[in-house]
Amino acid sequence: MSDADPLQPLLAQCALGDRLAFETLYRTVSPRLHGVALRFMGRQDLAEEVLQEAFVRIWYNASRYESHLAAPMTWMVNITRNLAIDQLRKRREQPLADGQQDAMLDDSPSAHEQLDREREARALNRCLDTLDGMQRQSISVAYFQGLSCSELANHMAAPLGSVKSWIRRGLERLRRCLES
Amino acid sequence: MNYQTTALRRALAADYAIGLMPATARRRFDALLLADAALRVELGHWQDALASLTGALPERPVPDHVWAGIKARIEPQVLHVPAKKPFWMNLRLLAAAFAIVIAVLAGVLYQRDLGVEYNATLVAANQQPALQIKAFADHLQVEPLTLAAVASAQDLELWAIAPGGKPISLGLVPAAGKGRIPLNEAQRALLTAPLTLAVSLEPRGGSPTGQPTGPVLYQGALATR
Repeated sequence: MSDADPLQPLLAQCALGDRLAFETLYRTVSPRLHGVALRFMGRQDLAEEVLQEAFVRIWYNASRYESHLAAPMTWMVNITRNLAIDQLRKRREQPLADGQQDAMLDDSPSAHEQLDREREARALNRCLDTLDGMQRQSISVAYFQGLSCSELANHMAAPLGSVKSWIRRGLERLRRCLES
Repeated sequence: MNYQTTALRRALAADYAIGLMPATARRRFDALLLADAALRVELGHWQDALASLTGALPERPVPDHVWAGIKARIEPQVLHVPAKKPFWMNLRLLAAAFAIVIAVLAGVLYQRDLGVEYNATLVAANQQPALQIKAFADHLQVEPLTLAAVASAQDLELWAIAPGGKPISLGLVPAAGKGRIPLNEAQRALLTAPLTLAVSLEPRGGSPTGQPTGPVLYQGALATR
């Protein structure tokens, strides 16, 4: 979180109703948020719906962004994630129709990633490496699929108490490592 | 429960951030957050740590229709019908030509003012942009964005609906959603007021009753200029 984050003044201008600033913000961050939405939804059309909804929210809620609580990108990723998880939960309640399963696409990483993205990823990977397998898996399933504790225990075929403690300890270790 | 222990606050904020709390606990925590600034900061740290899980995801180019859909939902839309050629048009043309010469000499040419500037996007029930409409002097130009297939025995019909008024037909949407819809004088006058544009599914040749008979598939609100 840095004061020099160029997204911060853009969000501030959006809060004042500046549509041009919003368009600039959209052009800057939409490919990134699209990647996030696609990771959650696994399907192009659903990811686009989530992305559109996310930007409508970003526009209407820009005045509620608090810079001392989260970096702008974190805030926007969270909006996208929450919408994606709502959709995933709704869809879990209704089974997939015929053919929809086939439309699921595999998201292999794009060929070139920017340099700082790689550095960021290395730091994250280093920290994820400090977790044991169950901790890593339970965190990533909880985060990317929005499963509740009991659903998670079901999914991983493990007792509720163990899943809770994997996540708690794993998160604690992850955050300490990222902050070090 | 005692929410004051540092370790507990930290653990609860972590549960909340990743989404493990059941609905009731979540609502209780929401209420705590409102009253407790330090707890919001604690939550912020967790959210930052978790957001880093998405940091390594590849960027994906976004198709244009997503932006069109966002714009359709946040902007009052204006469909500007340019004036039809009146008898003094030549004079105006001359004046415009002069203005352009001057602008070019001054090195400032506002290209935007010369083209069609106004268009409206109609969206489907799921808020996805379906149809783009541009206004010209005597017709509307329609471009499909993501249009559902229409059976050959049916047509799409475009309606103008003034607030509190009955729908007035503007004509049929050309097959495949692309083409012109000619406007008569009364229809042109209609488009200068705030109204909703809607597209309904009708029998081939348009509604037999003069009012929409099938479901409304797409719509968009227009503001006045």
